[in-house]
Amino acid sequence: MNNFITANGFEKTFRYIKLIEQGIFTTVMLAVFTVVIGFILGILLAVMRMTDIRPLRFLAYGRNGRIRNNPVLIAISKFNPVSFLATAYVEILRSTPVLVQILIIYHGVFGKLIELPSFTLFGYLKSNRFIPGVVALGMNSGAYLCEIIRSGIQSIDGGQNEAARSLGMTKTQTLVHIILPQAIKNILPAIANEFVVIIKESSITYTIGVQDLMFAVTAVQGANYIVMEPLLVATAVYFCLCFPTSKIIAYFERRMSRGDKR
Amino acid sequence: MATNDKLLQVLNLSKHYNKGAIKALDDVSVDIHAGEVVVVIGPSGSGKSTLLRSLNLMETPTDGSIFFHDIDITKKSFTDEAGKKHKVNINLHRQKMGMVFQHFNLFPHKTILENMILAPVKVLKMPKEQAKEKAMVLLTRVGLADRADAYPIQLSGGQKQRIAIVRALMMEPEVMLFDEPTSALDPEMVGEVLEVMKELAHAGMTMVVVTHEMGFAREVGDRVLFMDEGKILEQGTPEEIFGSPTHPRLQDFLSKVL
Repeated sequence: MNNFITANGFEKTFRYIKLIEQGIFTTVMLAVFTVVIGFILGILLAVMRMTDIRPLRFLAYGRNGRIRNNPVLIAISKFNPVSFLATAYVEILRSTPVLVQILIIYHGVFGKLIELPSFTLFGYLKSNRFIPGVVALGMNSGAYLCEIIRSGIQSIDGGQNEAARSLGMTKTQTLVHIILPQAIKNILPAIANEFVVIIKESSITYTIGVQDLMFAVTAVQGANYIVMEPLLVATAVYFCLCFPTSKIIAYFERRMSRGDKR
Repeated sequence: MATNDKLLQVLNLSKHYNKGAIKALDDVSVDIHAGEVVVVIGPSGSGKSTLLRSLNLMETPTDGSIFFHDIDITKKSFTDEAGKKHKVNINLHRQKMGMVFQHFNLFPHKTILENMILAPVKVLKMPKEQAKEKAMVLLTRVGLADRADAYPIQLSGGQKQRIAIVRALMMEPEVMLFDEPTSALDPEMVGEVLEVMKELAHAGMTMVVVTHEMGFAREVGDRVLFMDEGKILEQGTPEEIFGSPTHPRLQDFLSKVL
């Protein structure tokens, strides 16, 4: 094992530069689509979890309009189906491995239930593998982003909501102009972390044959009987993707905290 | 002040917690007339803030009614003179009721000018330029025109509260609700805020003020309400309340604060 990392090994690896380039591009596309799906899903789930929809509210009140003394009826009257659905989704997705989720989405949902149109994006992204991968990753990160966004919204002082509502602003206007801008500023470090996790976790899609960076690595390894060199190249590439991402978000974080400093 | 121009009418208002075990408001009725300055005093936990915050439904009362321009805003709908049913849109009524909070609640991510023009532009659809001009006029009035582009964190407490007042005034409210506006201020900054409020009162603004500033109540108030345990125990002109209090609880309270 005196020469387990050799210049020759790197030279062989770089012969497949085209494959690696395609892998990098696929990884980036996976991450971008996942982030978009995850973020939209996350906001939607967070809003769902914070709704105040109680269709059985009437059960808590007796005929005279007063609140009943029956604790069971009062507990049922507080049931919020929208929030329950979102909470159940989040808890299930967070409590199962992403590998299992990807395989279920690929083999189960898109393998049996939904027929995917077969086409090729940008010359080499095969839709029947790329779309299940993106959907599974997006659904998974949506659950995590939901919790991040929810904690961000709940971290905003209630006085902000009261001030905006006292000026006649609607719930939606208050959320969009007052609560979300401050919440997103507070949770940017957590979001940056989640984005970096998404880039790295996208490597797991090679198990369903998405030709991302890890897929390229395995291909090069298999063709040349070399192990370490392709892995080191992948390490460098992943680092070059993730490190700037967190730095860029840190820059926005500084810009958005203008109102925090004297 | 005429007696038939009731701007706000509170009828048998109650607010209970824990299924009635705690009564923050207990069957309170009071009228607020246009142009009147009503000052609410009382010990902590007496329900004075709850009463004020109920007026624009920041708190949802358990029972009773609040009529604003003869519309019961605690109900879901109302019927107009023609017999037509309308939904009560609380946002519309809140536009006409400015509120100033103990902790200012300026929007920290927006500059002073942005704080002021946000609601007029988004809610009243006022053109941005017009809103800015209006904001500058108000800022000049409170002596803070040079801080228009500052962020709230850069201001002192007194300055923040003056901004909070003019931010509410941007909506041209018919009544201003003050919830202990000077309680969170350093003592030396209380004066500048009270000065703005006095000026506002002299300009004829209808005001409901919850405060511990007895000097303000005496000097500016048209009517003083004394509350304790969720009830209005005594009300009258400042001379009556401070000069010849009748209720023993009020006498006790005044002996401690004056």
